[in-house]
Order: sequence, then structure tokens, then C-alpha cells
Amino acid sequence: MVALVIALALFFDFTNGFHDTANAMATPIATGAIKPKTAVALAAVLNLVGAFLSTEVAKTISGGLIREGTDGIHITPDIIFAGLMGAVLWNMITWLKGLPSSSSHALFGGLIGAAIVGIGIHSINFDTVLIKVILPALFAPLIAGGVAYICTRLAYALTSRHDPETGDKLTQKRGGFRTGQIFTSSLVALAHGTNDAQKTMGIITLVLISAGTQSPGSGPQLWVITACALAIAVGTYAGGWRIIRTMGSGLTEVKPAQGFSAETSTATAILASSHLGFALSTTQVASGSVIGSGLGRKGTSVRWGTAGKIALGWLFTLPASAIVGALTALLVNIGVVGVVIAAVVGTAAVAYMFIASRKSQVGHHNAVEVDEAGRAVRFRKKKKPGKNNRSEGVQR
Amino acid sequence: MKWMEVLQVAGVTLVAAVTLVVLYSLGVRLTAIAADTRQKSTVMARSLAYACFAACAVAVLYGIYLIVPYFGK
Repeated sequence: MVALVIALALFFDFTNGFHDTANAMATPIATGAIKPKTAVALAAVLNLVGAFLSTEVAKTISGGLIREGTDGIHITPDIIFAGLMGAVLWNMITWLKGLPSSSSHALFGGLIGAAIVGIGIHSINFDTVLIKVILPALFAPLIAGGVAYICTRLAYALTSRHDPETGDKLTQKRGGFRTGQIFTSSLVALAHGTNDAQKTMGIITLVLISAGTQSPGSGPQLWVITACALAIAVGTYAGGWRIIRTMGSGLTEVKPAQGFSAETSTATAILASSHLGFALSTTQVASGSVIGSGLGRKGTSVRWGTAGKIALGWLFTLPASAIVGALTALLVNIGVVGVVIAAVVGTAAVAYMFIASRKSQVGHHNAVEVDEAGRAVRFRKKKKPGKNNRSEGVQR
Repeated sequence: MKWMEVLQVAGVTLVAAVTLVVLYSLGVRLTAIAADTRQKSTVMARSLAYACFAACAVAVLYGIYLIVPYFGK
């Protein structure tokens, strides 16, 4: 069971990586600052480095994350397994739809759902959930968006040059921001590594502790750190092109100066908050920044339709992954057979989504691809009741 | 308590991001000035621009230095 949970946790880390490549690399790719392949490789390396830089977050998670959701009640590998299943499946679905949703929220949601079924509704401290998860979800994009807005205004104000006599525009060299973007986007990737890779490390450490192979209160072991760092780096390199498309051009058209401002805001917001022990979602911060920078430049329109879709995705992230987590917890409660079924169904669902993504990539044009991905997801949801039926069949 | 943390994060983010963007924008502006053909003292503007970029890099490195616990202890 422990080995299974660790494998699943590493896979979650992988999905987290390719889900969140977009946060760091969508804007520089959109402005042409870095070539897509190079950008993804750079992000992968920096994620790897970032994961090694600081394990503070992992330590607080292995001691605090579960208490956030379940208020200190003893957690078993079974529940973590169910929670991870919820998180992984939701990550795959949103990736298929090209929605930049929060991997952290998927993880929280999955664990909460699993804990409700596995332990009971009393295990959830809803006040803590509100303060630690819901409030940051509201404020993270607002803070980052506001700062990105101010920065974009400043960047344009400072670089705009007019001839005092004729009023003609002088050379502004705003292309210079493109070079800066290489550094700011690297910083975002680094911040992502110091933040999101830690979540998986924390989970694995927690499993090891609950299985009794590691003493409580100790930090992640070296092999755990290495495995997580590699998993997130490989995931990042695999690249979530669908989400990159949404973030890079779906929300607003990004110019180098805007991209620079957005990335600076994202990186500082993530680093500041994780340093001050504030649980923020990388994805939500990045989306907020991109919208903020879109508002900051005159003549840029923000596609509120897409923004609304993304926000809707955020709303659903927690409950949806909670439901999948809860269903998996139901299965796991049956016993070994249930675990096997959950693992098989989960693998099948993930494989199915990979195949679905292949199919829609043939079309390759944006609109077509989004449509087909949407159809594919709806199709997958039809499969879900099938999964329930099967689990009930086993129960009987 | 919670609101203080929110304010703190907002404040730190604002100050840090604005510092970086202002420094870099000044650098960009100075390179633009240096590129003007009519201007005579291009060397001055260019070196100032590089100074801005350097200050920006230093600010970033200082930020990373603050974050990594290895240096903090």
C-alpha cells in the first residue's frame, strides 16, 4: 500500500509539473522571448533546482497539511491514496480542457473528500478550510493581479518617450523587456519548484510516518526529495501545451513589458507568501497576474469569457476532486480488492485521457482543439457512473 | 492575525515587484536614450542602463538569498 501511495504521489507530482509549466512559461513563449522547447527545458531544470533549494514547505506540510483538512485526526495511507487519486484525476481533466486550475486545491479537495468518507464529516474543520484554502484562493489572484496592474502601468509610463517639440514617439526599445522575461520566468519556475514539489514531498513523508517507517516530525528523506524533484522536472518538460495556450493567448494578448510585469508579480507573490507561511496556489497567482497586466496596458482587452471559465474551473476544483477522492475512499474501504479496482480504474481513466488528448491533437487548430477536448471530457464523465456501478457490484 | 498576514504578503509583493519593474524599466529607457543618434553622451546613458540592470539582478539575488533557509541559518 505504501509503495502504491508513493507511486501515485509521484505521478501527482508529474501531473503537477506539466499542469504548471504554463504558469512560468506561457507568457515568455507568447511574446517570443524564449523558444517553446527551450522554455520548457529551462523550467524543468529550475524546478529541479528549486525543489532542492528549500524543504521548509515540505516540513510544514507533513506536519500541517492534513491537520488543515482533518483537524489532527490520524490519517492512514488509504485515505492519502484516495485523496491523491482525486487530485490526479482532476488534474488530468482540467489539463485536457486546457484550464489552468490549481493543483494544490485538487490535492486539498481530494484529501478532504477522502477524509469525509474514510473518517467522517466531523474530521473536517471547516473554519480552517475556509481560512487556509478559500480565503487565499480569493486573495491570491487579487493581490497578484493588482500588483501586476501597477507594475504594467509603471513599466509603460517609465519607458514611454515622446519628442518634447514635435510630440512624435521616440524609440522605446521595449523589446528589452524580452530579455528580462527570460529571467523573471525563470524566477517563477524556481518559485514553483520551491513550492509545489514540496507538497508531494510532504505527502510522501506523511505516508512514511503514518506507516511507521519514519519518525514523526522529521523532514523528508533525501531519496524522497530527489524523486519528487525529478518527477516534477520530467512533468514540466513534458509540457502542458494546452494550458500554455490558454494562459499565453487565451486571456489577453501579452507584450514583453506586460509579460515582464506579470512574471515579476507572480514570482514575488509566490516567494513572499510561501516564505511567510501562507498557502497560495501558483496557478491562481499566475492567472491573476496575467489578467492584471492585461488591464494595465491601454488598448488591451481581457477575454473575460475565458477568465470566467477559468474561475468556474477553480470553483469546481475543490468539490470535484473531493468527490473523486470520496469515491476512491469508498472503494478502498472495501479492502484489498477495492484498492486494486481503484488503482485499475484510475490508471484506465488516465490512459483514456491521454488517448483522448492524442486524438484532439490531430486537428491542432486552437478552437477545434478546445471543442474536441470538451467533447472528450463529457464523454469521460459518462464513464464515471460505470465506475460507480462496478464498485457497487463488488460490494454486493 | 490572518488579515495582517494577507496585508504583509500584499505589501511585500507590491514593494518587491515594483522595485524590480522600476529598475528594469529605467534600464530599458536608458538603453533607448543611448540608442538615440542625436544624443551625444551615449556612453553615460548606456553605463547607467547597465547599472540599473545590475541593481535589478542584485535585488533578485537578494530575494533568493532571503528565501533559501540554508543561508538564513
